[in-house]
Amino acid sequence: MSTIGFWISGVVGRTLAYSVPLLLSTLGEIYAERSGILNLGVEGLMSLGAFSAFAVTFFSGNPWLGVAVSGVVAGCASLVHAFFSVTLRTNQVVSGLALGMLGMGVSGVLGRDFEGKVLATTLPVFRLPFLSALPGFEKHNVFVYVSLGLAVILWFVLFHTRWGIVIRSVGENPAACDAMGVNVTLVRYACVFFGGVLAGLSGGYLSLGYRPSWSYGMTAGVGWLAIALTIFAFWNPFWGMVGAYLFGILYHFSFRFQAQVSPELLNTLPYLFPLVALSFVSRLAARRKVGPPASLGVPYQRGSS
Amino acid sequence: MRLRFQVTRRLEPSASMVFFVSVLSLLLAFLVSGLLFAFLGISPLEAYRVFWRGAFGSLYALSETVKRMIPLAIIGAGLAVSFQASVWNIGAEGQMLIGAIVGTWVALFSPLPPSLLLPAMFILGFLGGALWGAFAAWCRNRLAINEIITTLMLNYVAANLVLYLILGPWKGKTVRGFAYTDPFPQEAWLATIGTTRVPLMTFLFAFLAALFCYFLLTKTTFGFELRVVGRGEKAAHLAGIPAQRVVALVLFLSGGLAGIAGVGEVSGIHHMLRHPAHISLGYGFTAIIVAWIARANPLGVLASAFLFGALMSGQDALKVAFGIPFQVMYILNGLVLLFLIASEQLLYYRVTLRVAPWGEKEDEYDRVLD
Amino acid sequence: MKRFAVGVLLVFLLCFGFVALGNTQETKIKAGFIYVGPIGDFGWSYAHDQARRIVDDTYPWLETVYVEAVPEGEVEGVIDRLINQEGVDIVVTTSFGFMDGTFSAAQRYPDKIFFHCSGFKRAPNMATYMADFHQVYYLNGVIAGALTKTGKLGYVGAFPIPELKRHINAFALGARRVNPNAEVLVRWLQTSWYDPAGAKEAAESLIAEGVDVLAFTEDSPTVVQVAAEHGLPSFGHYSPMYKFAPNFVASGQLVHWEAIYFDFFAKVYAGLYTPKNLGNVDYWWLLREGAVELGADFGMPINPVFEDQLKSTIVNDPVYGEISVYDLVFALLKAMADPEYAFSPFTGPIRDRKGHLRVPEGVRLTMDELITMEWAAEGIVGAWPGEPE
Repeated sequence: MSTIGFWISGVVGRTLAYSVPLLLSTLGEIYAERSGILNLGVEGLMSLGAFSAFAVTFFSGNPWLGVAVSGVVAGCASLVHAFFSVTLRTNQVVSGLALGMLGMGVSGVLGRDFEGKVLATTLPVFRLPFLSALPGFEKHNVFVYVSLGLAVILWFVLFHTRWGIVIRSVGENPAACDAMGVNVTLVRYACVFFGGVLAGLSGGYLSLGYRPSWSYGMTAGVGWLAIALTIFAFWNPFWGMVGAYLFGILYHFSFRFQAQVSPELLNTLPYLFPLVALSFVSRLAARRKVGPPASLGVPYQRGSS
Repeated sequence: MRLRFQVTRRLEPSASMVFFVSVLSLLLAFLVSGLLFAFLGISPLEAYRVFWRGAFGSLYALSETVKRMIPLAIIGAGLAVSFQASVWNIGAEGQMLIGAIVGTWVALFSPLPPSLLLPAMFILGFLGGALWGAFAAWCRNRLAINEIITTLMLNYVAANLVLYLILGPWKGKTVRGFAYTDPFPQEAWLATIGTTRVPLMTFLFAFLAALFCYFLLTKTTFGFELRVVGRGEKAAHLAGIPAQRVVALVLFLSGGLAGIAGVGEVSGIHHMLRHPAHISLGYGFTAIIVAWIARANPLGVLASAFLFGALMSGQDALKVAFGIPFQVMYILNGLVLLFLIASEQLLYYRVTLRVAPWGEKEDEYDRVLD
Repeated sequence: MKRFAVGVLLVFLLCFGFVALGNTQETKIKAGFIYVGPIGDFGWSYAHDQARRIVDDTYPWLETVYVEAVPEGEVEGVIDRLINQEGVDIVVTTSFGFMDGTFSAAQRYPDKIFFHCSGFKRAPNMATYMADFHQVYYLNGVIAGALTKTGKLGYVGAFPIPELKRHINAFALGARRVNPNAEVLVRWLQTSWYDPAGAKEAAESLIAEGVDVLAFTEDSPTVVQVAAEHGLPSFGHYSPMYKFAPNFVASGQLVHWEAIYFDFFAKVYAGLYTPKNLGNVDYWWLLREGAVELGADFGMPINPVFEDQLKSTIVNDPVYGEISVYDLVFALLKAMADPEYAFSPFTGPIRDRKGHLRVPEGVRLTMDELITMEWAAEGIVGAWPGEPE
């Protein structure tokens, strides 16, 4: 392969692999927020997912079981947030942050005995016909393809199916949906659960695929970035994917160009790029009235508007 | 058959009831935490005793609590104002770091005479944090960028700026190449109260900030305007209130207060600039919770900041006494938060678990008493 | 009445006698350890805690407690609590950032003993200590220089501070002893001592640039795992990382903080060290004292997987002549560990990568020069913040 080809395939490969957890948790947060529930506990859910995936795989030797458990555990944990914010109608910011703390705490305390342990089996390399032949796509586990495919599917579902309309309407005007016979509570619970599952899976990817091991803090703030990327993406899975990959490529470059550019500046770039990108498109979006779901963060109560 | 939660609304609860229910919920949170301690092999009663003595039990314990309360209260007061205007400033951590940077510059590199160092540190630190916050307002007003993402991302930028300075141009001559600045001259150290490590000046600032923000919110036209803006820009527009100006001022103020907290930490605690994760113990983020728990009331912030200061201090005592994993603290804090917000709802709503037959109309159970 | 008074006096004396006797027989020393990171971090704090457990298990008269994840600015408060709440006699603080807080606490508790790691401020009741890896890194470099095919070695460093610069220099000097054209490509994280994602991407980008042997300073086994994924040899850091990649961890740096703790606590117990005479007590312990060890795992200086390759690689060494790299490593190990300290990696002539003569012929760098090292040795490629002109 030519030098340029080698270089490109390296960049693409690292971007794809690094961006998976960011992409998955962003997609999940987009769905939760589209239904009107702000979930600030993503980081804690990821940590729970990473820990439970590792622990289950450690004991069972089956990474697929670990993946499944990571999604289920984080999904169930996120129901705590759903219960508080949908049923009890509490402040979503606080209950999300509380959930995040609980997630970090529980995974940290229970995970003590698993730090520094080695997994016998991890996620294998997964090859798809055609796609895996592209430069940079050669050696990845299944998460890379699933997250990419999910971004497209979730975009389609949200904007081109009845389910998508229901979710978006619940986030915009729950009273009207309620009047039309939509079960607002159910939709919101489902979306929060789904967001939790994706956050958990992204944690599972970290502890089983990206770097097969468990240690506290390995989520490294990705959950917070997901919340920022959700806004960056204008609550659109497609732009969420673009944002996640852009972040990934800049993160990779921050090590690639260290010989040429000062490391501090490079470390800042991934965080500055969303602002720079938004400075070009935000006014346009505002003119087109693309903004946050109108009822984001507002508890719905029948009869009060 | 199915289980249903029935929620009905109550009238405005009295102050004593708020207090009573909050205390009750805290007790409940601790009761549940007892299970956690039992799980860790620690007698819950012993844990409560250590916590209590570590947070309130002596003058020393109280001083450690207050030391943590100060930055939380100063930042929380500003965030309360910001949240009242529906301006979601989650960049206090970064604004605080900028305050610390500016304060450090004044202390180490400015040509000012020693007597002017401290006033200049606080004034310029306020301005630094304020402008860092106002930049987010500019992005929102001019470029229509949501302030949540701006303030969040600027936290990372501020942290990288600190790292750049302590590893590069400001690296100390007396620290053997480690990533710290030189210590501040003694004139730039805040005096502490007695033998404690509580800086007197920032202690007073905490109360001043709360009073100032309370006064601003309740007794001034600007306070009225910002609360209208908080109801939505449409309402503000109808009332003829310049929403953009309000947003800018609110971010300027809350950023500035965070900047003051940052100066307070470097001149009162550290006496140098060091790794961002050690300058602030997540105060900028915890203050968000502090402000919310106080329902964005600056006076209430004093109480909730004290509560969180006590949690941090009592947990230190637990860590020392039992050598427990530090993550236990997150579980404790999470439980306290959940019980607090649940109790808040119980003040307004009565929730009952009902068993209802399938198919029954929901409306019969969801009567709203407004 | 008189009789009664005498009786009381006797009882009192008896009690005092018992108390005094009891004290001399069962004096217990209680030590409190303060860590900057969590003990599970598998790096710095983990290693200190392992050592704490060992000395605690070995000395029956020693009781230890620890506090983990203490922010640097909070150390004084934690010291207060350890002394007043837990009644410790010795406070061990294990991070450079704890220096000022420990020093100030040492003034306030003149009858307690303080033991601070990696700092330079001492007091009559405050001693300092450090176990340094530069010799081990030199040996790792020798091995790496023989294992590389591309001539490019990679190094992932957390922060560009003298400790790491000294280690990377030693690594490069060692590599060029057997492979004069070897290069060490360096990537910095500059975020935190624990940053697995950064370590992973830094290692990946080094590999993409042709690096085929990796060493690092970061508190997780990430770099070792990444290297193994690509089938490349690497060197473990701080903890035995052999188990994370048994076929690929060639060697590494291991620490025995307990060597220092054994010595210090025993001398305190014996009354040799008191709160009055620690002003000049500074441990700077190396291979000779057994504070550090060369190895992929304890007792495994070189991973057997690489033995044949190193034995069959013959170099012409300026000191030892025709010698296999395997034998060279052990010869150098012996020379550095001997009581006379026969060899130091930083013996001149050494030039930095800008061509300045940093260590003149025949001169050996002193400890002070080692711990303030900022220059980059020849063969190092990449950013080097704070590099002197």
